Amino acid sequence: MSAEPVATPGRRARPRLMKGNAAAIHGALLAGCRSYYGYPITPASELAETAARLFPACGGTFLQAESEVAAINMLYGASSAGERTMTGSSSPGVSLMMEGVSYAAGSELPIVVVDIMRGGPGLGNIGPEQGDYFQVVKGGGHGCYRNLVLAPASAQEMADLTALAFELADRYRNPVFVLADGFIGQMMEPVALPMEVTRPPSRPWAVLGTPATRANLVSSIYLVHEVLENHVRRLQAKYEQASRREVRYEEIGLDDAEIVLVGYGIVSRVLRRSIRLLRASGIRAGLLRPITLWPFPSHEIRELAARAKRILVVELSTGQMVEDVQLAAGERCPVAFYGRQGGMVPSAEEIVEQVRGLLRAVPGKEVRHVEAVA
Amino acid sequence: MTDVRTSGWVVIKTEECKGCGLCILACPAGCLSFAPEFNHQGYHPITYSGEGCRADGLCFYACPEPGAITVYKGEAHER
Repeated sequence: MSAEPVATPGRRARPRLMKGNAAAIHGALLAGCRSYYGYPITPASELAETAARLFPACGGTFLQAESEVAAINMLYGASSAGERTMTGSSSPGVSLMMEGVSYAAGSELPIVVVDIMRGGPGLGNIGPEQGDYFQVVKGGGHGCYRNLVLAPASAQEMADLTALAFELADRYRNPVFVLADGFIGQMMEPVALPMEVTRPPSRPWAVLGTPATRANLVSSIYLVHEVLENHVRRLQAKYEQASRREVRYEEIGLDDAEIVLVGYGIVSRVLRRSIRLLRASGIRAGLLRPITLWPFPSHEIRELAARAKRILVVELSTGQMVEDVQLAAGERCPVAFYGRQGGMVPSAEEIVEQVRGLLRAVPGKEVRHVEAVA
Repeated sequence: MTDVRTSGWVVIKTEECKGCGLCILACPAGCLSFAPEFNHQGYHPITYSGEGCRADGLCFYACPEPGAITVYKGEAHER
């Protein structure tokens, strides 16, 4: 694992059983966030439910907006006024928010958005999916900006990574997403919360209604072309710095792995078991779990590709993150993909079969896409 | 139907239900099923038979809709 640890150090309370969604809200409050604006949507409803209960109790604000569009623009206002602020939604709701995210990136506003991905496109269904990778990791809104994206794989990480999201949002003055699938949001697990509440850093650029901040202006408009170019280049420099410093990932059994499995969120939990099954049958498999989807652990994948026989990317989509893995691996190693969609989650045994199929393939054969089972 | 509710019972708010069926999968007693009729959102909501229900709350934990399922513990006559 690189960069700083995922979890903040320090004393932790006794673990409590809670849903991933509830854990994210607890993590936010402990990170000093005191305002939540949002609109409930399955399977993310417990974000709003828990926030409605806890934010006012902690002296903060919870407001159910009239729509997701309204909510994201309330974040814009709250963040401009110096607040640590957040919203949460699921895929269709996040689609609605993307314009506001672009504005926040352009105005360099720290905001945190939790996306509990569900089946799509359109209304889809309320089962778990990972089809928002493109919209959240690759942009979604217009213009040359990036979101920092964290991908939790447990209820504990829902709390820890949401807290980290606030730190990163302030560090880079940029939107940060916590991107989880419906499974991680809905699943109940023991969560040990930190005992200390983080004090948010001061924001000298914010508009606080004081004489000192009277001249501050929060805006994303730069009408003079060369001024906007300079602004965009400055944002770009910020993103380059983030991609050098903030890559986080977890690896299991990669030292001697001939087959490398790559997956995030709930998929990584299935892959852990696949690896145990594969190793028990004499196949040296390992797991790379990206914790940051942007910045992506491209450097690590490039190195792995130089010594692995095959890389298999597994996603709850028709193949989105696999493009980043292929880009990183290049010609060094064939990258295969296996995906399920629509709320279906592959079993460990299903993935073991895919790996066996891959290893039977002729060495040096071109990238082989494995058909998803209906 | 009320006779079998020895340890509690379940109340479904059909208008909150999105018909995902997770509670049906979670219920060991098999006392939940899809209703043939639609709710106002156009989903087949869950219907509760009560047969064999132990009020173990698994349907509540599986349900992604806050407020859609309420599990009451206790004797049926307390209702």
